[in-house]
Parts: sequence; C-alpha cells; structure tokens
Amino acid sequence: MNTLWSMSTGSVRKRPDAEEKTLSGELRTSPLRASTKKQLPSIPKNAVPVTKPASPATSSQSTNGTHASYGPFYLEYSLLAEFTLVVKQKLPGVYVQPSYRSALMWFGVIFIRHGLYQDGVFKFTVYIPDNYPDGDCPRLVFDLPVFHPLVDPLSGELDVKRAFAKWRRNHNHIWQVLMYARRVFYKIDTASPLNPEAAVLYEKDIQLFKSKVVDSVKLCSSHLFDQPKIEDPYAIVFSPWNPAIHDEAREKMLTQKKKPEDQHCKSMHVSGLSWVKPGSVQPFSKEEKTMPT
Amino acid sequence: MERMSWLSKLTPRAGGQRAPRSASLQPPVTADPETCLMVFKNHWAQVLRILERRGSKPAPDDLSAVRNNTYQMLNLLAEDRPRGDGDRSQEDGDMACGPILEFVAAENLLERLLCWHLQGDFTEERKVEQLKLYEMLISQARQPLLRHKPVLTPLLRLLSVCAEPASAPLENSLVLLLNQLCVSVAREPAILELFFHSHTDQGPANLIIFSLLIPFIHHEGTRGQQARDALLLIMAMSASNRAVAQSITDNSYFCPVLATGLSALYSSLPRKIEVRGDDWHFLRREDWIGVSSLVLFMNSLEFCNAVIQVAHPLVQKQLVDYVHNGFLVPVMGPALHKTSVEEMIASTAYLDLFLRSVSETALLKTFLRFVLLHRHDNATILDTLVGRINSNSRLCMVSLSLFRTLLSLNCEDVMLQLVLRYLLPCSHVMLSQKRAVRDLDIYGKTAAKFLSLIPRCCRPESPPPPPERDEEPPARARAHGSPSADPLPAPKPSTPSRLSFFMRQASTAPPEAAAPRSPGPPAGSPPWPGPRDEVAELDRNYLEYLRDARRSIDRCAWACRVWSAPYDGEDPRAPGPPPDPDSPPERPLGPPTPRTKKRGLPEEGAREVPGGPLGGDEPGVGGSGPDPRDGGTLVNGAHAAAEPGRPEGDVVVKKVRRSTQGEGEGSGGAPNGAPQAQPPGWEPLPSVDSLLEELLARAPAEPPGSGVSIEAFTEELREIEAEMRNGGVGGSPAAPPEPPDPPLSREEEEAFASFATLSEGDAGTGRALPRPPDPLAQVVASPPRAVGPPPSQPFTGPFVSVLFGKLENMPHNSLYVNFLLTGLVAQLACYPQPLLRSFLLNTNMVFQPSVKSLLQVLGSVKNKIESFAASQEDFPALLFKAKKYLIARGRLDWAEGPGATPALRRPDTLARSRKPSLGELLLRHANSPTRARHAAQLALQGLRDGGLHPLPPLAHPARHGEALRVRNAVYCAVIFSEFLKELAAIAQAHAVTSPFLME
Repeated sequence: MNTLWSMSTGSVRKRPDAEEKTLSGELRTSPLRASTKKQLPSIPKNAVPVTKPASPATSSQSTNGTHASYGPFYLEYSLLAEFTLVVKQKLPGVYVQPSYRSALMWFGVIFIRHGLYQDGVFKFTVYIPDNYPDGDCPRLVFDLPVFHPLVDPLSGELDVKRAFAKWRRNHNHIWQVLMYARRVFYKIDTASPLNPEAAVLYEKDIQLFKSKVVDSVKLCSSHLFDQPKIEDPYAIVFSPWNPAIHDEAREKMLTQKKKPEDQHCKSMHVSGLSWVKPGSVQPFSKEEKTMPT
Repeated sequence: MERMSWLSKLTPRAGGQRAPRSASLQPPVTADPETCLMVFKNHWAQVLRILERRGSKPAPDDLSAVRNNTYQMLNLLAEDRPRGDGDRSQEDGDMACGPILEFVAAENLLERLLCWHLQGDFTEERKVEQLKLYEMLISQARQPLLRHKPVLTPLLRLLSVCAEPASAPLENSLVLLLNQLCVSVAREPAILELFFHSHTDQGPANLIIFSLLIPFIHHEGTRGQQARDALLLIMAMSASNRAVAQSITDNSYFCPVLATGLSALYSSLPRKIEVRGDDWHFLRREDWIGVSSLVLFMNSLEFCNAVIQVAHPLVQKQLVDYVHNGFLVPVMGPALHKTSVEEMIASTAYLDLFLRSVSETALLKTFLRFVLLHRHDNATILDTLVGRINSNSRLCMVSLSLFRTLLSLNCEDVMLQLVLRYLLPCSHVMLSQKRAVRDLDIYGKTAAKFLSLIPRCCRPESPPPPPERDEEPPARARAHGSPSADPLPAPKPSTPSRLSFFMRQASTAPPEAAAPRSPGPPAGSPPWPGPRDEVAELDRNYLEYLRDARRSIDRCAWACRVWSAPYDGEDPRAPGPPPDPDSPPERPLGPPTPRTKKRGLPEEGAREVPGGPLGGDEPGVGGSGPDPRDGGTLVNGAHAAAEPGRPEGDVVVKKVRRSTQGEGEGSGGAPNGAPQAQPPGWEPLPSVDSLLEELLARAPAEPPGSGVSIEAFTEELREIEAEMRNGGVGGSPAAPPEPPDPPLSREEEEAFASFATLSEGDAGTGRALPRPPDPLAQVVASPPRAVGPPPSQPFTGPFVSVLFGKLENMPHNSLYVNFLLTGLVAQLACYPQPLLRSFLLNTNMVFQPSVKSLLQVLGSVKNKIESFAASQEDFPALLFKAKKYLIARGRLDWAEGPGATPALRRPDTLARSRKPSLGELLLRHANSPTRARHAAQLALQGLRDGGLHPLPPLAHPARHGEALRVRNAVYCAVIFSEFLKELAAIAQAHAVTSPFLME
C-alpha cells in the first residue's frame, strides 16, 4: 500500500465537550448483586466540575456521597482507559483516535489484509453513548457503506448490537467492538442482515458477492483521500505519498521501533533498579554485573 | 539533584591548568637546536665541575650554582624538540629524541645530579626544589620524557625519597608532581608499562605513585583534590588495563584506605544536628555545605562514587566490598543504633543524604544491601528504620524522608523487602479475590470512593464560617496583638534548611517531578469574592492532581520496567514458607499512641462510602467480613511494642566506633587474600598506616571490645562472597509473543467468544467470565495451586502497618509529619505493580478480616476529623484560616522559588520568609500573578508582625497542649482532604497508564 495516513496535529487539546455532559446517575451493579443494593440518586444534570455555587438541594445530596463535580473526570478517564485498553490489544490493522471535540467520538480505520475483503481500507467512526458505561453499546459507522451483510447499505452502520446485546460495564470494552468490526470481514455472518442483498448473494451467488465486494473495496479506496466526513482536528486524513513528508516520518517510525528505549530515555531519565533474579523473590539474588547505569 | 559528577569537574582541571604557566615561563630560546644544545652543555660542564669535586662538602655557593644551572638546563630540556620536529612527530611512536634529551640520556645526567643531592644534606627545602623542577619539566616538555629511563629512574628515586610524611610545602609539591605524572600517564598510557617494569626500592614504580598519593585521599583543600584527581586518572586507566587494576587491588591499599577513611571521617561528623526549625527533616546541600566535617566526608564519598564510575570492575568490586565491610557494617550500623534520639536522627539523616548522593549503581547497591539485609542486633537495618517511623518527634520525620528516598529509587529489591513479599502470597485477600488483583478500575469508582471520604466538614457545601468573623481578612485580624506562643512552629521561619515541605517528592526526583504536589485545601469555598476566592480555588485543583498523578505513575512505571517480574499475583510466585522469616510480627514496631485506641471508627467510615453516586456496587468494603475493631493488634497484624527508641535506662552513649583502626588493618590483610600476593622486596607502606593513624586520631575513642573482631569481619566477607557467587545466572523473561497478524487467531476467536453474544442469548450466559461475580462459585473454581496454606495471620508487613498506624493517627500528627507521611503513601500508591496497586487502591477488594485496608484507615481518620469538627464550634473558621495560612505559606515560597537559583544562600530576611509551600502548585492557577503577590505580601506582613497564625493564640501556657491538639487536627483536616484528592487522582491515573511504558 502506497499510502500513509496521517493525522493533522491540532493545537492544544481542549477539554472535550463530553465533560459538559453528565453522567447519568443510574448505576448498574453487577447482576447478582444488583438486587441487594439501593439505587443512588442521580447526579443533577449539568453539574460541572467548577464554579457554580451548589443549590441547597444538590448540596444535601452530595454531602452524602461524592462531589458531583468530579463526575466528568470519571467519564473522561474511563474513556481514556478504554483507549488504553485498545492500545494494549494491538488489534492488527485497526487504528483509532478519539476526536478533538469529544471523547465520546472516535475515528478509526481498518485495513483488511486477507480474505474476501483483502486490501480494503475502511474508515469509520465510533460513537459512544454519553451515559457510558451504563448505556447501550457503542455504534460504529463506516464512512462509506461497505457491501456487507451486517453493514447498513444506506447509513454505513455496522450491526454491533448483535454481538453486544446488552452492554455490561466491566465486561464489555470498546476494543471488543473494534475486534468485532474487524472480524466481520473475515467471518461473514448472514443471519438477520442489515443488507439483505449482500446476505442473499453471499448465500446464493458467491461469485457475484465477491465481485460486489471488490467493487466496494475499490470504491472505498478511491475515496481514501477525500476530506474526512466529520471535520475535526483529530480526524484521520489520508493523503498521497509525499516523499518530502512521509519518508522522514517512516524513517522515524522504523528507527523508533529499533530502539524505543533510547527514545523514552530522553524524555524520562529515571531508571529503576533491580537485583532480583527473575523467578526469585530474594533481594540481590541476581548474578553480579551488568546493571544499566 | 545532588548526584555526583566528578569527571565533569575533573576534565577541565587536568587539561587546561598548565597553560598559563608555561606561557609565562617560556624562555627566550627559540634559537636553533644546536645552539640550545651548546648552551645546555655549557651549563652541564659547570655543574659537572662541582659534582666531581668529591669529598669535600658542597659549599653554599656550589649549591646555588648547581641550582641555577640546573634550572637553566631543565628549561632547555623542556624546550627540546624531537629531531625532525613538525607536528607529525607526535604521531610517530618511535620518534627520535631531541638533541638535548639524547645528551641527557647519554650522560645519565639527571641521575648523577640527584645522586649528588642525595649525598649531601638533602633538606626538605632542596627536595621541594627538586620536585618543582621535575614538575616543571614534565608539565612543559615538548616531547615525551617519561618513557626514557634516564629521566624516569631519577624521578622515581626522588619520589621514593619523599615518601615520609613531611611539611606542607613538600607535600604540596609532591602531590602536584604526582598529579602531573598521572596526567602524563593518562595522556600516554604506554608509559604505564614502563612504570611496571622499573623498580625502585619501594617496590614497583606504579606502586610508589599510589602509595604516595593514597595518604592524601581524604585531605581537604587543593592538595586533597589534586591527589584525588590524580588517582582518578589512574583509576580510569585501570578500566582498560587489567594489570593496572590488579596491581591496585592486590598491591595497594587504595581501596581499604578509601573505604575505611570514610569510617574515620564519619566519626568526626556532628552527632547532633543543630536545627532550629521544627520542620527540618532532611539534609539539603545548603545544610551541609557549611559543615566542614560533612563536606570532607562528602568529598570522599563522592570520590568513591567517581572511582567506581571509572575504574576496572576488579577495583570497583573491591572498593564496594570495603565500603560495605569497612564502613557501612562497622560504622554506619552502630551509628544508626545509637541510643540517644539525637544521634539516631543525625545518623538517619546522614544515611539519607548518602543514599541521595550516590549515583553509581554498584555503590548504591552496596548501600541498599546494607540497609535491606544487614542485621544489627538481630534486626535488619530496614526493620529498625521502619520502626522509627512510629516514633514521635523529628526521628519520625527523618525516617520518613529516608523512606521517601528509598521509594524514589524504584528499586525492586527495596520494594520487595518493604512491601511486596508480604503481598506475594496473596494471603491478605480473600481467596475469591485473588484474580481481581490485576483488575483495573477504569470507571473511577475507587476515585469516587476516596473523594467520598473527604470529611463533611471540609466540603464546599459545609456551612461557611460566620460572616462577621471573617469580614476582615484573617491575616490582618490576627496581626493585632496576638501574643504568639505558638506551639506549632510553622510561622517561625528560621529553619536552617528552609525546606520545602510541601515539595514532598522533590528531593530525588527528576526536575519535572520536583514540582510540588498539588496542595491546598480542598473545599470550604464560600461563595464570596475577595480573599475567599483563593481558598475556594483549592476546590478546583483536582486537575492538577490528575496531572501530577499521571506524571508520577508514568515515571514509576517506566522505571520499573527493569524489574524482574510484574508482581501481578502470579509472577513471581510466592515462595513456600511464609514470607517473613526476617521480621517476625513480634518485632517492636512501636506502640500505637494512646490516642489511636479508638478502633471502632474505621469501619463506619468505610461503610459510609456506598453513598457515592458512582460507587453503586461494592462487594468490597461492605462485605469485608468481621469487624476488626477489637483492636488487639495494630493495623494489619503489626503488634504493639516498646518505642524503638530503646529503653531509657540505657543512656550510655556509645562513641562512634573506634575500631576502624582494627578494620583498616584487618581489611588490608584479610579480604580476597590480596596483599599476600606481594611481590618480593615489597614492604608494607608505612605511609598508609600513618594515614590511618592520623585519621583515627581524630576519631573519639571507643571502649575496646565493642569493635568488630577481625574474625567476624572476614567471616562476613566470606559469606558475602559466597552469596555473590551463588547468585546464578537468570535468563530474562521471554518477550511476549508478537500479536498474530493472520486474520483471526485462535486466541482472538476465544476472546471474542468470551465477550460477544452473537446469538440472541442472554449476555449473562457467556462462559469463562473473567471474574465470576459470585465468590462462592469462584472458590470452587479456583485452581488448587492457588490455595496455599495461608499463614495463620495475614500480615502485610511492618512498613505498611507502621504507615497505616501513623495515618490513623493523622489528626494528632504535626503538620509536617502529615505532609511527609501522606507523600510517602502517595508515592507508594504510584507503583504500578498490581499487587501493590490492588492492595492500596482497589476498593472492591475483599481483604481478610485481620487485614485493614487503606480505605478503612482513611475512613477512621475521616470520622475522627468529623467528630473533632463537631466538638469544635469554630471549626469552619479555623479551617478557613488554616487553609489561608497554608496558601500564604506556599505563595511565599512560590514568589521566591521557581525562578531563583535554589542553591544560593539568600539574604537572611528573604531566607527567613521562605516557607515550604503547600500552595505552590496552587499558584499555578491563581488568577493573576499580581494578585497572588499582593496576597503573599499581605500574609508576609502578617508573619512579620508576629501575628499570622490561623489558629487561636494561646491565652494560657497551661493550655498549650490543647491548642496544639486543635492546631494539629485542623491542619490535618486540610491535608487529609487534599490527600484524598491525590489518592483519587492516582487511582484514576493508573487506569490510563500507557501500556508502552510497562512493556
């Protein structure tokens, strides 16, 4: 592939609007315990972390529990934690980037490297409900409706719900949605499709299905360099290979891979110490020599 | 950072020093070489005439004639250039000698001159003269001279004549010449070989350089510095030359003298650290730079550090061993166990300083090994130090500082001994919870829980103080005639160190870490404008805490990547036997102070938590089993015992070990069998002994018998060696397999199956839930290997017990103790190891009944504060003032702080006003700098007028105790609330730590 996607680097990131939204106070406990726990009052709408003198009503409530004002921090951090989990998963060929404006909207792209959809590059957007993690499952919408039984031919929305009938906090994570999105291109499921045509073709006329898929993949590729569907400084933008820019960037990425240690070391000088032999729990059990200084 | 860097200091000195002098002395002989040679021969002829006049004593005239001619000759020799000259001559290894040098060699001129001197009355004065001449010759020569025997041999002979201790001028010249020699050798390492092969009557030539320099290792002033520089050059050469290294370790006293010299120097350090401020808790550079004995010690320690940095591993190892066995064990150990509190404080502060100053890993390792493993009086140093946290007074603060230093090293071994090994068996959690150790709280529930512990009386919603009392800014209000008999020294600004209290993480952390913690009181933001805004602002500093937490955790996680294991409950496995053979629970940890008796509170506090809007489901605290309130044991299994300060009856103050003498000798002879390998004809160097004697003469006497016997010493050494050998090579853990690239790996399929519900089926029926919510089901399911026989009483270790005990006591601790204490706990909470993280921060964890959680401890503090607040009718006003005061304090610090160069001594007035800054961070978001400064000045004004103290002045000396109690409690309320925010932020930040940092 001769393209390299690059993201415009926005200015300093502001607090996303998400912070202005509030968490619904409806809490769900783990299923087995739910019945024994009392429900807590919801946090008042529009509670923001700063300023407003609390009204008597809310203050009496929140003296009971947490400061309502910290709520947005939880949401923001939860999403950041979700993002960290995505990074940990290292899903092959899947890249996401939270938007500049809201932590509840993530831009992404999937590269399909094998199978029917080989060479497909599909951009998408993930929408996370603002009552996350207690709401429905996130939605995932492809920029262009890929020809696929589970993708709505008009809106481009992937049928995520079928895999996550009920979104359970602690159990379901956004990386799973992304993994699912990738999976549907390798394991094609035709049951109760959003795109019946695709489903039928897949079942009845695989050749035609294949050629439609190829067309669809081509179509997506031909629109690769389009402006992002949603304007956002952190939207994923593709541009033709420009050696002046991209060669250097690629070089950097490749060298960074070789010695990530050095890269980090420059920014953080600290190194811890250890003389514990792996597997041992005795201090100073390691053989002498070679501690990095 | 006070880390040592010797080489940077050294380089310029070695190179550039000579330049000016050679320029000024340059003789006018730019004449052609032949002429120079003629002149030289002429001088020599005159000298020769005198030299050959045998028998009769040289007349004074002769002396001066020889002196003058020699001076001229040596100048000419220095100017002599190799034949063929040119710049390329430098490159030829075997370039021809210059004509004069050739002549000198042929005539063996220098040797004959020296012989003549030696025959006569070779006074010190004449020695000095000769030394200076040689020094000039060597430093200014245009060609390598030392490689020529006719130069080298007389030089070495001269040196050997100067071996005896002598007057200062002679020593100065001697050291300078030796320094010059070392510089030359460093420039031309090949000469070193020659040194090896030429013998003097003092043994091999290289040894004489050593033996002459060694006595000056610990000297102060330029002489000592030059000697150390010179030695360091040789050490650096040893790095690439094993023979040199071997001769240093086998045939010289270098390492023993260096290491035991530390002992001698240590013994002359002040036993008691004179400090005026109550907030003093660690030695900063400004504190010790004026104490000459400490400077001397630090110079030598710094030198050790530098030697280890540059020397050959052989030398490194020997020196490190000597430091351990010749300094740490015989001197530091007993010093830390002195009976008087003052001495304990001093030695703890010294140890802390040393740990902060040492930068070389090998040396640090030896210090840490000493702290962690060495036993003195049957307890490891570590345990002793841990116990002292429990003491009152400054000893507690100094100990906390020491642990701050230890924690900031991010050292696996330290953490293992302090905490992790107690957590490894996972016996502190309920069986069903074992797998939850690795859980990350990604929804901020822990944070919510911590924040919910902010005492009601400290929250913004709490009723504002009655307006009439606060109409006037408290600063001014107080300024009027409050006879301040402050028991709390806060406003008394005269600490010698001008510590930054609130910069709790500062001392050893990298610069960006040095940013003080977010501070400032939490709540109490009444909706009025004016001075109240500042206080109100404290309510909004959570973002700062989040930022700080992120930074600290990132740094810690990054540092810990060199660790051997993740400590996630599975790797490493706990060893079979219970974790703590070393410090059995009955070890004295100090009693709970009488005030901590009320144990019932914590539970209530914790139970209250579920009220948090986000804390809906908590199997944790609510169901945490039997109430541990019975209070028979201290927190988490630690037991009460006597204050570690030792029985009061035992007042005999032991003097600092006199036995260094014995050690010095013992270590010279015993370890490594080294000196036995003496070459024939080699004799012990008298100068070393005299040095030791001299050094030890300064040390106060110690009753005989209390020293460590040589047998014990060698025994210990043998043990250590055996231990080192037994280490075994450990393979590093295999790298995790690359994520599979092919379409859908099996793992992926499985993972997918575990969370996805492709069919319409109920989500709940998914098999293989990562964590079945039903504990019972899990007990059944948990693999048998996990079910080790739990030790009878789960114990999370003395360190945690002491910290928790001290935390519970927060309302009674002084402001300063609380700063250090909360800082330490926060530091601990930043460690990313799941075992530790889950123990401190996972509020859902169900612990064994006997194990108290941090949350419970904090809950109890919360209750104490609330009940105090309820009993104190003017609490809101007091709290407000306390906040204001702390902010003002921080502001003062800020106003002077960040821009100014920290090390400079400031004029006294300024220094005085500088107070540690809780509010430092706060100022980052103060609306306007001018406003901030104005407020600061106001507050300062208040201070100067002697009035600004937020808490009520004492009407009556008899009520001192009561006022102190009130003060501590009110400050505690402020700190506690901030601490909770800090912990909450840390808990949140853990969930977003980049996985790249930990790979």
